[in-house]
Amino acid sequence: MAITRFISVDDHVQETPDLWTSRLSKEKWGDRIPHIERANGADTWVVDGRVLLGGYTARSAAFMADRCAEPHRWDDVPTAAYVPAHRLGAMDAAGIQYSVLFPSVAGFAGEAFGQLSDNGLELACVQAYNDWLIDEWAAVSPRFIPQCIVPIGPVEATVAEIRRAVAKGHRGVVFPSVPHDLRDVPHVADAYYDPVWSVCEELGVPLCLHAGGSPKLQNAMPPGMSAGREAALEEVQRPVSSVYVLNLFLFSRILMRHPRMQIVMAESALSWGMLDLEWADHQADHDGLAREGYDLTPLQLFKRQCYLNSWFDEVAPFSSYLGAERILWSSNLPQATSSWPRTQETIERCLRGVTDEVREQVLWKNAASLYGIPA
Amino acid sequence: MEIKYRLISADSHAAFRNDDFTSRMSVSKWGDKIPHIASRERDGKTSDGWAIYEKPPSGQVCNCPALMGEPFPHWPDRWEEVPVMAYDPAQRLKALDIDGVDAEVLFPNPPGGSYTSYGDPDFELDTVRAYNDALSDWVRVSDRYWPLAALPWLQPADVIAREVERAAEGGHRGVNVNGQMPKGLPHLGDRVWDPVWAVCQEMGLPIHFHGSAGLGAAHSIKNWDGYSERQAHSASTSTSAVTPAQIIPQLIFSGITERFPELKVVFAEAGIGGLNYVISACDHAWESRHLWTEGMTTRPSDTVRRQMFVNFWFETEGIKLRHDIGIDNLMWESDLPHVASYYPKSRAEAERVLEGVSQEDKEKLMYLNALRIYGVTPSAVA
Repeated sequence: MAITRFISVDDHVQETPDLWTSRLSKEKWGDRIPHIERANGADTWVVDGRVLLGGYTARSAAFMADRCAEPHRWDDVPTAAYVPAHRLGAMDAAGIQYSVLFPSVAGFAGEAFGQLSDNGLELACVQAYNDWLIDEWAAVSPRFIPQCIVPIGPVEATVAEIRRAVAKGHRGVVFPSVPHDLRDVPHVADAYYDPVWSVCEELGVPLCLHAGGSPKLQNAMPPGMSAGREAALEEVQRPVSSVYVLNLFLFSRILMRHPRMQIVMAESALSWGMLDLEWADHQADHDGLAREGYDLTPLQLFKRQCYLNSWFDEVAPFSSYLGAERILWSSNLPQATSSWPRTQETIERCLRGVTDEVREQVLWKNAASLYGIPA
Repeated sequence: MEIKYRLISADSHAAFRNDDFTSRMSVSKWGDKIPHIASRERDGKTSDGWAIYEKPPSGQVCNCPALMGEPFPHWPDRWEEVPVMAYDPAQRLKALDIDGVDAEVLFPNPPGGSYTSYGDPDFELDTVRAYNDALSDWVRVSDRYWPLAALPWLQPADVIAREVERAAEGGHRGVNVNGQMPKGLPHLGDRVWDPVWAVCQEMGLPIHFHGSAGLGAAHSIKNWDGYSERQAHSASTSTSAVTPAQIIPQLIFSGITERFPELKVVFAEAGIGGLNYVISACDHAWESRHLWTEGMTTRPSDTVRRQMFVNFWFETEGIKLRHDIGIDNLMWESDLPHVASYYPKSRAEAERVLEGVSQEDKEKLMYLNALRIYGVTPSAVA
């Protein structure tokens, strides 16, 4: 088996029970602070009376002895989910050199605190996460690439937090793709958000739009399914919901106004992308968008500014159309859908039939240049 | 029927005559609620639309730009402008001959095939029957028409199943299904609908989801006021590419395909390239969660190849993946008379998209798969 360098662009940290309670003022926020509550023998995350993480204690099934089972008590959460030194061991075991970090409790797409109605509490929760990720993970090893989460509004607060976080060492911005589904803020395509896109361009950090930022982009669950089937269906529905977000960025002129911004469709998968883009070009042509100020076709814009990311798809059928320079790979630790511990086997299967050059681009070169990771 | 052109459209749209419903529904029972054409003032001009259930007329009187000539595309404002070839089955045969198409599967056109939103089960049933009967009359004109039945979803499942049987007797060759059941009704994956799938399986009638059955119309991303009409159309249309990727996993993981392993499911106007995602993502989830331990003994990709069928018309990239998806699972479509149609150049466009494809594969994609999937044995092949 040929081991090459591998930068995983989509992994998730598990936040610890004291992350927010030790950083937010008890006096100011009381029990509105994110914390774990135990009821009926199960530990559940709660913020401001809202249940977080879908009621789970952690999403770390890849590290469980039975990966169909999530832990119900904090004591049962595998330490590789939340102890950085142990995570490095898991990465070593699967040939993962660098890991780009996304949250879990704060939302896979960084969306959880956007639902809070109190801007002050939202900002405090976001800042605590961003500080913790630098202090507890990035400080342990340069192999962790930290990315900040943001308050979704007001826009001045979003921009200020991106500046603060990047100055502290964050290398990417996790932005919930449909903020207007979270609370009453302007539509994401509105020019209101232009300062956010501008600051990403200015600081040279990618904007990461992780799948699952809004449940409204996925079909409702059929009734009467087992937990395993329901979780499997959710995992299949979530990546492909990225099509709506990608099309919005391609057609709404956000990317045209911000030609240096790079967007990463994290956990998007690849195999729907080719048809979507072929169809988008076909349709833009039929609808005459060139006459309405669209200088580039959707595919051309994609190749200039967007990345798709997979961990289980075959690459060869899609790499020439999408462009190998626009494909990123991940391990998706520590979720059940992760390829871990057979990450290298999965890579071999998925990259069958591609050239060595494409293989290196997909596994590390694209990510290294995007995140400024030295060769 | 005789195969003359070796090309079958697995997705076309039958238009309706202005009296198709008024002549089939009881005026004493339904009065002005019966779907009929009425005029209204819109954007400073008078135009016609279909008025249903005493609501003001809405939408287009007929969606038929492919039959309207130059400048393309334009739509009729008044009933008098609607080309006879759109709604008259005898005249429409000429269009099929001009386009070089042997037969066509018929999806709805205004006033549409769903009358659920009025919340009146009796009205829905009578209107659905009129819809299905109107298309049965097309079959009496020619067996080159393969209509799909509309179904009365507000009725109990056994009543729906009886309408499936009645429509099939009238020549319908499948049924049309919503991707999301209308608000207030049980989920598509609920067992309450099992009698409907059972009768479709038993009679060999494929169930159909049109590309527009996806979430595309429902989500809030779409509702941005910064698009022009054309931009909004472009931005939302290609997201239909994921309609099969939304619905097939629901059918598989909810257990419908296990309970009905011979039920055929067709996706129209969604393209074929999305099926790669269905296959790889469902297999990956099945493997990573060991779902065989929960009774799912069949690998999802095997289920897809056994039961799922998708249509293509423009995808040169997608066609390259035909063997990954399954060469027996793909059918050509014309979308006549909608804007996506290549009429009257369907044959040339089909040949262009299929350039470099072997003759054997081409014949499957252009008509043999459709004959097999709809269970039609031709009397002769020219």
